Formats: sequence, C-alpha cells, structure tokens
Amino acid sequence: MLTSLVIGVFQGATYGLLAVGLVLVYKGTRVFNFMQGEFGTVAAYATWGLVANAHVPYGFAVLAGLACAVLLGLVVERLVIRPLLDSPKITLLVATVGAALLTISLTTLFGKSEGRVLAPALGSKNFFILGAGVATQQLLLVAVLAGLAVALAYFFSRTDLGLAVLATSQDAFATRVVGISVPAMSRFIWGFAALLGGIAGILQAPIGVFGPGFMTGLFIVPAFTAAVLGGMTSLPGAFLGGELVGVAQSLGIYYLERFHIPGTADLTVFALLLAVLLVRPQGLLGKEA
Amino acid sequence: MPLLELDGLRTGYGAVPVLHGVSLSVEEGETAVMLGLNGAGKTTTMISIAGLLRPWAGRIHFDGKPIHGKDARELVEMGIVLAPEGRHVFPALSVQNNLRLGAWPKRRDAGLVKRTMDRVFEVFPRLLERRDQLAGTLSGGEQQMLAIARGMMASPRLLLVDEASLGLSPKLAQEVFETMRRINRDGTTVVIVEQNAGVLRIASRAFIMLKGQIVYAGAGEELRRGGELRKAYLGTPD
Repeated sequence: MLTSLVIGVFQGATYGLLAVGLVLVYKGTRVFNFMQGEFGTVAAYATWGLVANAHVPYGFAVLAGLACAVLLGLVVERLVIRPLLDSPKITLLVATVGAALLTISLTTLFGKSEGRVLAPALGSKNFFILGAGVATQQLLLVAVLAGLAVALAYFFSRTDLGLAVLATSQDAFATRVVGISVPAMSRFIWGFAALLGGIAGILQAPIGVFGPGFMTGLFIVPAFTAAVLGGMTSLPGAFLGGELVGVAQSLGIYYLERFHIPGTADLTVFALLLAVLLVRPQGLLGKEA
Repeated sequence: MPLLELDGLRTGYGAVPVLHGVSLSVEEGETAVMLGLNGAGKTTTMISIAGLLRPWAGRIHFDGKPIHGKDARELVEMGIVLAPEGRHVFPALSVQNNLRLGAWPKRRDAGLVKRTMDRVFEVFPRLLERRDQLAGTLSGGEQQMLAIARGMMASPRLLLVDEASLGLSPKLAQEVFETMRRINRDGTTVVIVEQNAGVLRIASRAFIMLKGQIVYAGAGEELRRGGELRKAYLGTPD
C-alpha cells in the first residue's frame, strides 16, 4: 500500500502541474480551459521532433518546445477567446474543447498516430522508494512542481503583475480604472498558462510513450478534478488537489483491482470528482488566494 | 488655458443617449463640483472623461491636448484618474495591495510609490489601521475612502471623484470633503460628483447637471449662497 502511495504522489505531480494552468486561466478569465492539455502535447511533440530528428541539444529543444506552447496559447487567446469574450462562459468552454480537438487532429496529421519516445531529461536511471520504482524524470517533475509552487506564490503575492492578474479576475471595470490593459492581461494569462502546460507536457512525455492528444486523453480529467478539489481559484489548492487525486487514483487501483473491476483508475477519479461536487463544491481551499 | 475642457460631449449606452452636448471647463488647481439629480448624466460624464466610455460626438481636451477616443490606460498615464461610483475596489485583495495597484502607472518608481502611500495613510489613518485587511471586508464608508485613496496613488493631475459621500453619515461625508480639500491643496485638480450640496463648502467652481446637459456653471460660493437657484434645479434648500 505504501508503494501505491508513492506511485500516487508522483502521478499526482503531473495532475497538479496541469491543474495550476487551469486555475490560472479560470482565476484570470473565468474560462474552463480544455485546451490546457494540448499546450503540453504540442510542446512534447516539438521537443521530440528537434531531439529525435534534428539532433538539437536537449536544452534548446525544450526551450523551443515551450516557445511553441506559448505561441499556441497566444494564438488561441487572439483567435478563439478574445472574439468570444462577451459570450456566455459555456460558449467559451465549448470553444476551448473545439480548439483542443483541432490541435489533436493536426498533431495526428503531422505527427502520425503512433507512439513516440522522448528521451528523459536527466538519463534513465531508476530508484526505488518504499518499493515503488521511480524514474529520475519523475523526481525532476516533482522538483519542478515544488519550485513552481514557490515561484507562483511569490508572483501572486509580491509582484505588481501578479496582483494585476488577480485584479482582472475580481473587477474588470476597476482594473481598467487603475490603468491596467485588460487585453494585455488576457494575453499574459493565456501565454503563461500555455507555458505551464508546455512544462507539464515536456516533463510527462518521457515517463511513458506519447502520441497525439496524450495530455488531454490521460490527464485533463484528473487535472480538472484536482483543480475543482482545490477550489478552482486556489493555486495551493491545485497543487494539493493534484496530489490527492494521484494518491486516490493509485489507492483505488490497489484496492479495487483485486475485485477484478475494470477501469479502476478512471472510476476513482470520476467518483472523487462527483463526491467533491456533491459534498463540498467550493473545494478544499475554495476562496481567492 | 483650462486643464480640462469639454465641448459638446454626446454619448450614451447602446442606442440610448444620456449626454446631450455637455460643455464645461475646469482650471488647474481648482476643486470643481458637479451637482444633479439621479440620472442626470453625472457619472456618464465622469467615465467619458476617464476614457471608460467612448464619446459619440464632441471634444474633450486635457492640458490643451485632445483626449476623446483615448482609452483609460493612456489617460491614467497622462494623469487623469477616476475614483468610481459604487466603490469598485478589489474585494479579495488587501487594502495595501489595492493601493499598490492604484500606483500601476508609476509602478517602476518604487520610491515614489512608497512616498505616495505614506501620504495616503497620513490622509486616511483609518486605512493604515486596516492595511492588511481584505478590501471586501471594509465598511461601505471605508471602501469609499479606499477608492479615493487608490486614485491618489497614481499621483494624478486630475482626480475625478464619483459620488464621494454616497451612503456616508453626514459626519463622515464632511470628513471625506475635508480630505478632498487636502488632496487639492497638495496640488491635484479635483472634480467631484455629488448629490449632497454640503460639498459646495470646498468648491471653487460648481456645475449643475440636468437631463444630460449643464444648466448652471459658476463659482462654488455663488451657488452656496443662492438657495433659490439650488432649489430650482435640485429640489433641496440645504
């Protein structure tokens, strides 16, 4: 069981990383962003393409991959989000789903629908923690998550730009009154969220084999569950939620598989999401933070 | 040359006209007061000057330069700042962070921001006591003060205060008027929209607005004495 717990913590890190991007967009623009996973997929493909085919040094490939994700974020903001800003939020939600499906189709078209292998960033050594096999890449992922948690906490409580993002989400009129450009903030939020999505994708891809839409298919629902669990507007909540979903999923697999129940991983996540929405819809840390 | 000059300003919301050609001018260093009943177009005039509502026709000049059609961000940088009606503070941010955002156009000058904040806390000691409290948990009067204080943080040349005393007790209203006088003495030109004629005490210039037009413009003192005039337009002798 301890082994499952450790597996869950590492799995949860990816959920948490993706959930932070979801929370950022929701805080800043009140949009449920189903595009978040695809920022990761595109970044992973770009990095893989440069490393495996063009033999570009890993570090440069990662930077290029992240640049692609940010560019995609800015394009989505300009072409999809901005024109629909005054539409009902459900329209925006569906629009992000559309953008994600289009991106998945395009990656399938250009990247072929076969599994790809991106080399891990720091070699492929494995460790054993309480009986669970853990790759260096997973340690790196958790370290990056922790680093980002600290950096984001600082950003939102201590910097003018961080405060401006929070301001945009609280009162758009007052934001204009103090002289902050709301379109510029919207661009910043989507670019930043795409960067976080890209980081998640590039870190997650080497942990298994990846293909078109892998970040959406495997991670977006647990990440939304994590974000909702954390209260949807709380960044610490998103980190915590990611870990809780990871651990719950892992324990769910551990306890339910002996009863030969199929699809235990998804079952646990959906059950958790439903439970949160029914019992504590405001989430664990459900307030502006 | 007046600091602020409106000439035949027309605007409204959607297809509904609210302002039917507003003309007025305010000299640098003045405290101007705009009185009028609900729905007269006072707030619409203020948000048009601040660049938050596009004029349909007419001209607005600030310091001799045309500013109609410029957006709020540019105008804040030029020194025109609005303390909006209905408070519009950032409820989930602390008092201090609300003030910090007020200094957005000056954010790269940390020394100036610090000095302005010290001055703001001197003028509004109540906000100093509550600096770490979330703005949404302040009383109505305190939020009103915070909105004005946030406007001061941008070190504006022209501060537009929309409904300075709305919902305040008469004593607190006098306190806010007194504060406006101090802000003016610091060198800021102030335009105050009010329904409370008590504000005339600090006004060097006064306007009365009725149905989207300026129907009276004169010295504040003149209107303060002329009870009949006020009664005619505002229906209140006090």
